[in-house]
Amino acid sequence: MLKMKDVGKVYRTELVETRALTSFSLDVDEGEFVTVTGPSGCGKTTFLNIAGLLETYSSGTYLLDGQDVSELGDRQRARLRNRKIGFIFQSFNLMPDLNLFDNVDVPLRYRGMRASERRQRVDQMLDSVGLLSRKKHLPSQLSGGQQQRVAIARALVGEPRFLLADEPTGNLDSHTAAGVMELLEQVNESGTTIIMVTHDDSLAQRARRNVKILDGRIQSIDQLADSRIPATPVSDRALSANA
Amino acid sequence: MEIGPIFRAMWRNRIGVALIALQIAFTMTVVVNAIYIINERSRLMARPSGLDEANLFYLRSVGFQEGFDEESTIVEDRILLQATPGIIDMTVMNAIPLSGSGSSTGVRVNPDANGPSTYTALYRVDEHAIDTMGLELIAGENFTTAEVRQLGRLDSGSTAPIIITEALAEALFTGGAAEALGNTLYWQVDIPMQIIGVVKQLQAPWPTFASIENSMLIPNNILDGQSLYLVRTEPGQVNTMMLRVEELLADSNPARIIMNVKSLEETRADSYRIDSSMARILLVVIVILVFITSMGVVGLAVFGINRRRRQIGTRRALGATQGQIIRYFLVENLIISGIGVTLGAVLTLGFNIFLVQTFNMPRIEWYYTPLGMLALVLVGLLAVLGPSRGAARIPPAIATRTV
Repeated sequence: MLKMKDVGKVYRTELVETRALTSFSLDVDEGEFVTVTGPSGCGKTTFLNIAGLLETYSSGTYLLDGQDVSELGDRQRARLRNRKIGFIFQSFNLMPDLNLFDNVDVPLRYRGMRASERRQRVDQMLDSVGLLSRKKHLPSQLSGGQQQRVAIARALVGEPRFLLADEPTGNLDSHTAAGVMELLEQVNESGTTIIMVTHDDSLAQRARRNVKILDGRIQSIDQLADSRIPATPVSDRALSANA
Repeated sequence: MEIGPIFRAMWRNRIGVALIALQIAFTMTVVVNAIYIINERSRLMARPSGLDEANLFYLRSVGFQEGFDEESTIVEDRILLQATPGIIDMTVMNAIPLSGSGSSTGVRVNPDANGPSTYTALYRVDEHAIDTMGLELIAGENFTTAEVRQLGRLDSGSTAPIIITEALAEALFTGGAAEALGNTLYWQVDIPMQIIGVVKQLQAPWPTFASIENSMLIPNNILDGQSLYLVRTEPGQVNTMMLRVEELLADSNPARIIMNVKSLEETRADSYRIDSSMARILLVVIVILVFITSMGVVGLAVFGINRRRRQIGTRRALGATQGQIIRYFLVENLIISGIGVTLGAVLTLGFNIFLVQTFNMPRIEWYYTPLGMLALVLVGLLAVLGPSRGAARIPPAIATRTV
């Protein structure tokens, strides 16, 4: 699904040239759950931005579903992001002036979907994250965990095949983080490919593979499939994490 | 279209939006009424006088020595000027159209009527007036030399021939010029005047006169020692001839002085100076107001964009194209402008009613308000286009930045 070969990213200013990624090669198969770890400034977010078509790369090759993304124009990249990729951000990135329904509705509007279909999908997605009854509320009226669930609903409402999560639990307490992680695992089990950047080693170990990055290069790729915790109800997991 | 979510988001920041909408409404109120006033003034200023203005000038011949004979001087001056190359004709008259100084009177068709039927400017002229002024005689005939009385006022009881304008004929007779010809008008109480000719147009001396198109020519010069000459030149020679004629006349008779030499074009400019100044001032006010409002729209848009940079990046990350980002801000502006111009339409009409009632100004034409609304909306859209394009260039990667 995702094939990067020798991808490099250089940020240039008049005085400084910074190599954010160097000879970065990674294959991610359909349905995989891959975590990306590494110290701050190692290039995790740059990798995620390139993978999610938020940024272009300076060298190498990147194929998404067999398509060379370097050939895509801005409009085509936006279209691909809208249809194939879902994003979850560390700071949730919800629109503070929009209620939950309108927030989740954003990507569907850009897809040009009919209002009735959008309404049905958004309601269904808010229901699946347990926030349908609060769809008229503003993000500021929710807790951090609830906001991240809304962000996940927004990321999934367009049924993307590829979910990119940038420190999705970074702003959450451990109890809430476990709940969010479980939600992501359920999403992955339903067939969505997930790449998650995290600082939390315990969360990283729950993925099928863990990619460790150092100084813009892949340091190691650990196969962790056997270590995954079997799926159990969210409430039980949350309680155990809290205990 | 994202009108619903945009409107709901704006509602949560309604104070800033309301202030800009009010500014747009206020601007529209002033701009539409100002443009209407400018157009009204321009229309007034552009009215033709009926004269060959481009080739006319006038002067005053004032006798100052004892024994100065005004009547013979006029005859000699006419001979001199008619022999001067570049001069077409000259007439002696009591007032110059558009000059702001002249005579008017009430006239009636029925001598027994209480009060005049209408009012008209009154020009005392000689038989050269029509040719000199370049008037178009549409019915009847010109005065004869014999009809022109040089020596004094019209005598009570005698019938005087007159030439009137078509507008005056229409004001007095339902059949207009055709019916007017040969009919009698009464001036003051006992002076009957027979209409022997009708000219197409000749405006009164006062631009603000309500019956400016009503004029009456009487073949009667009053000799008071200050003859007013109107001179018509060959096309394009008015400036040259003004100097030459002044010299010629001054040299020909040292018992008088030549003064107040002025072209009709200068006279028109002077007469409408207040109107043209007002139009220019209003135009400046319009430009300043529209500029300030545009800056307000730009300021609100730039502030909104800077405040929402991460949101814009997030929208881009979620699949918004650059065009959709631009459209978002255009729609946002359209909503603000829509509120502003709707309120502005009400205020415009209210302000116009105030102007009509207070200053007796004409009621605004109906199409000014929708045109003003459209113009202000377009100004708003143009103002926000630049910031919107800037917003569209915000990279989607900003969504993942934590600082």
